[in-house]
Amino acid sequence: MAKMTLDELRSLRDSKKKEMTQRDGDKTAQIVVGMGTCGIAAGAKEAFDAFLDELDNHDVKNTRITQTGCMGLCFSEPTVEVAVPDMPRVIYGNVDADVARRIVKEHIIGKALVSDHIFDKPAKDIIDGETK
Amino acid sequence: MHASVCDLITDLVQNAIEAHAEEIMLNVEETEKNIKVVIQDNGKGMSAETLEKAKNPFWSDGKHRHRKVGLGLPFLFQTVDMTDGSAEIQSEEGVGTTVTFNLDPQHVDLPMFGNFVSTAVSLMTYEFDGNLTVQHSRNSRSYSVSKNDLTDALGNLNNLENMVLLKQFIQSNEEELR
Ligand code: FES
Repeated sequence: MAKMTLDELRSLRDSKKKEMTQRDGDKTAQIVVGMGTCGIAAGAKEAFDAFLDELDNHDVKNTRITQTGCMGLCFSEPTVEVAVPDMPRVIYGNVDADVARRIVKEHIIGKALVSDHIFDKPAKDIIDGETK
Repeated sequence: MHASVCDLITDLVQNAIEAHAEEIMLNVEETEKNIKVVIQDNGKGMSAETLEKAKNPFWSDGKHRHRKVGLGLPFLFQTVDMTDGSAEIQSEEGVGTTVTFNLDPQHVDLPMFGNFVSTAVSLMTYEFDGNLTVQHSRNSRSYSVSKNDLTDALGNLNNLENMVLLKQFIQSNEEELR
């Protein structure tokens, strides 16, 4: 690949924009990757990268990917929250690159939860600050 | 211990973000003999006392969730100690913080460098209000790009298509350094 300039980047963007059909803003899937210290150490960047590649490879467009700091779930890092319209919001744990690819194929495209990586109850207690 | 130098860099840039910096400058200069990294921010800075505490891995300013200093500094010192590198932190309250470190790329104990493309993409698309400029050089070649420029060219950086373009952009610039 030749070195891209900002102007080339801008025109690439503009040509992509023309291709885009009218999209419903509410129908956007959301992926939030936990990039806290331990998330990074556990491979959150590899997961982040795998999401980008896999979504692009499958030509999935309407997705927002954001990152957040510590989610307070160190023991199951990397942690990723996925919200697909008309599906329950899910937090996945131990998301390595392979699991990230599965989430794209099974959850975002196939609309089925990746059950074996769903984060279970204890974390919710911690998040809500409940004692029991 | 962090798996890579890039992980260490990510952590230190996040510290700058958490210090509410408006301008962050990440400069990575690589040669065969030395890796020099400078992370400069104009965030809230630290007093000499806080800085001393921040070097301690067992100190946090209270709630982990609202931590102002992550584990980045202790990791940095550990890496530098293990590999005969050097590190220096200058910080002034209300002015900002500059972290500078030098590592020997040939030292046997140095963690691998890591993937700078995904590091830069991740940092550029981390949502925060300020600007981030990344400068990377290897020997005599270099490139520099800022988050403001990228937002200007692409619009929303968290939309998938824009992220993919951003990644291609960084990748093409990185390839030029080889
Ligand atoms: S950084 Fe992972 S739980 Fe805090």
